[in-house]
Amino acid sequence: MKGWRPSPPLLLLLPAVIVLAAVVVLPLLLSLYSSFTPFRLTKPETLWVFIGARNYVNLLTNGDFWIAFARTVVLLTVALNLEMLIGLGLALLVEKASRGQRILRTIMMFPMMFSPILVGFQFKFMFNDNIGLVNNALQALGLTDRAIPWLIDGNLAFIAILTAEIWSSTSVFAILILAGLLAMPREPVEAARVDGCTPWQTFRYVTWPFIMPFAFIAMTIRSLDVARAYDIVKIMTDGGPAGRTELVWTLVARTAYSDARMGLANAMAYFSILLSILFTVYFYRKLAAARTQIAAEW
Amino acid sequence: MATVSLKKLTKSYGPVAVVQGIDLEVADREFIALVGPSGCGKSTTLRMIAGLEDISDGLIEIGGRKVNDLPPRSRNISMVFQSYALYPHMTVRENLGFSLKIAGAEKEEMDRRVAEASSILGLDQLLDRRPSQLSGGQRQRVAMGRAIVRDPDVFLFDEPLSNLDAKLRTQMRTEIKKLHAKVQSTVIYVTHDQVEAMTLADRIVIMRDGFIEQVGTPDEVFRRPQTRFVAGFIGSPPMNLHEAAVDDGQLLFQSGERLPLPSQFKANVATGDKVVFGLRPDDIYPTGHGISSGEDADVHQMELPVTVTEPLGNETLVFAEFNGSDWVSRMLNPKPLKAGDRVKMSLDLSQAHLFSAETGKTLRG
Repeated sequence: MKGWRPSPPLLLLLPAVIVLAAVVVLPLLLSLYSSFTPFRLTKPETLWVFIGARNYVNLLTNGDFWIAFARTVVLLTVALNLEMLIGLGLALLVEKASRGQRILRTIMMFPMMFSPILVGFQFKFMFNDNIGLVNNALQALGLTDRAIPWLIDGNLAFIAILTAEIWSSTSVFAILILAGLLAMPREPVEAARVDGCTPWQTFRYVTWPFIMPFAFIAMTIRSLDVARAYDIVKIMTDGGPAGRTELVWTLVARTAYSDARMGLANAMAYFSILLSILFTVYFYRKLAAARTQIAAEW
Repeated sequence: MATVSLKKLTKSYGPVAVVQGIDLEVADREFIALVGPSGCGKSTTLRMIAGLEDISDGLIEIGGRKVNDLPPRSRNISMVFQSYALYPHMTVRENLGFSLKIAGAEKEEMDRRVAEASSILGLDQLLDRRPSQLSGGQRQRVAMGRAIVRDPDVFLFDEPLSNLDAKLRTQMRTEIKKLHAKVQSTVIYVTHDQVEAMTLADRIVIMRDGFIEQVGTPDEVFRRPQTRFVAGFIGSPPMNLHEAAVDDGQLLFQSGERLPLPSQFKANVATGDKVVFGLRPDDIYPTGHGISSGEDADVHQMELPVTVTEPLGNETLVFAEFNGSDWVSRMLNPKPLKAGDRVKMSLDLSQAHLFSAETGKTLRG
């Protein structure tokens, strides 16, 4: 049989290409398309109604969406900064430990070993206003005599979620920064000490520039994590009370599955992914700059 | 400018003593080299002087002031590290000026001193580069510049040339010597390379296993080694050292061969003493191809079989067999020799060394 025959490399790659297309590219294109339709799960025929950018216009003029979006950004900023600070502190302490460092490192990883769903349940229990550990402790210590409505007041609920988030993921920062500290050459630090630096100055001018790239790697990973925060919030408050802890992804899930408005939900999702991409690009830039600065060879 | 004095300085890690109570007085503006094989405690000693290691026991004084518990920044020292230890995220200029910036110096003062150091070391063209853009030799110069800028009481060098290739090392050695002549400050220089120690230092401190074996000028440690270890450590190629027994005014070697007992030791040994006989390659040479030590020369002639020759151009190292092993000899104005040739050798016994086989100490009176 004569005629066109694909080259062997193409032929050999084809199975992989087909599989990827089937499980990644097609769903992606389909969901992108559906964000331009009024698709509702309960009315399958609506998938074929094309309404242009109306979903996007809707959501950009929708106050609830913007509030959820802003809340997500605030959570992202506050959580990342606090995790960064606490992680840095932990890493510096563990690095100082002359013995038992391995066991400390392992213990530090414990929170990451729990499913976020379980973390959510645990903190939901701890912050429960009647039987929770937190209120019990506060009352036992005589700091307050009333039940603080941790998961009911909007701001307090936000703090409760933040606490759970930080507890479960600070170790990402701690581990990566510790890796940086351990990889760092010892001599520049000693040179700085001889050059007249106080411990703080040594950290500020020598240690910190060295571990900055590691911190940015952690930032990148965690910014994606927090930007798609769903499970902990779902369990602890389910976006409530009355939408006061609603984040982008709890809102998307509610719109898609409870309200069955798949088209609109997809539009929200695509818009939110922009947020993640922006953060990733920003941190990658910072990472590249920091790496050039210390002339890293990796 | 300052003196440095170490008194019964000790460092131990748990039960392991690395530096075992050493005493040393370094004069103002003196260039002292600490030399010894790896693990002898020389770097640890230097790091204790710098304040980078705690002292287990003893006393360190810089300029007459006890500094045992002072942090490095309060000792007014500067240190050059083996791996340069430059700050990779700073330019050469920032590296040089860093200590002044930390000390809160005025901008003009800082610029002036950085310019001064960079002109001494020829770094003017490199001031805006980062360490990663410099060669090894240039980095080492920046590291030295960083030390000079501080105008410290004492310079500490920790094997500064070990990471450089042989040619550059020789070149930098000369530069360090010039630098010391220029800045005129006290220098403590750690190296495992005895040639560096010999060429640079006013006095050499030879250390082994946490103890000081000998302190002396390069000439003293070369000509009058106090111990067998020093004799073997200083000098290249190393001194020929062989065990022998004193027997009726002669040295009896294990193989049964004999040499006359060098006259300068006659009074200090008796028949039956176990000794180590040492003779530098310069003092054993094919007859007619060496330099006589002058009127005192006590030359013993013997014929030995050549095993290997190593021609170096201006001289040839001739390995000849005696007492069952190879003795290195230095042949000036070399003529071709080959393995198996029997050569008449001159041994200048007036230059020989004898050490006690038991204590390793010299038997010179």
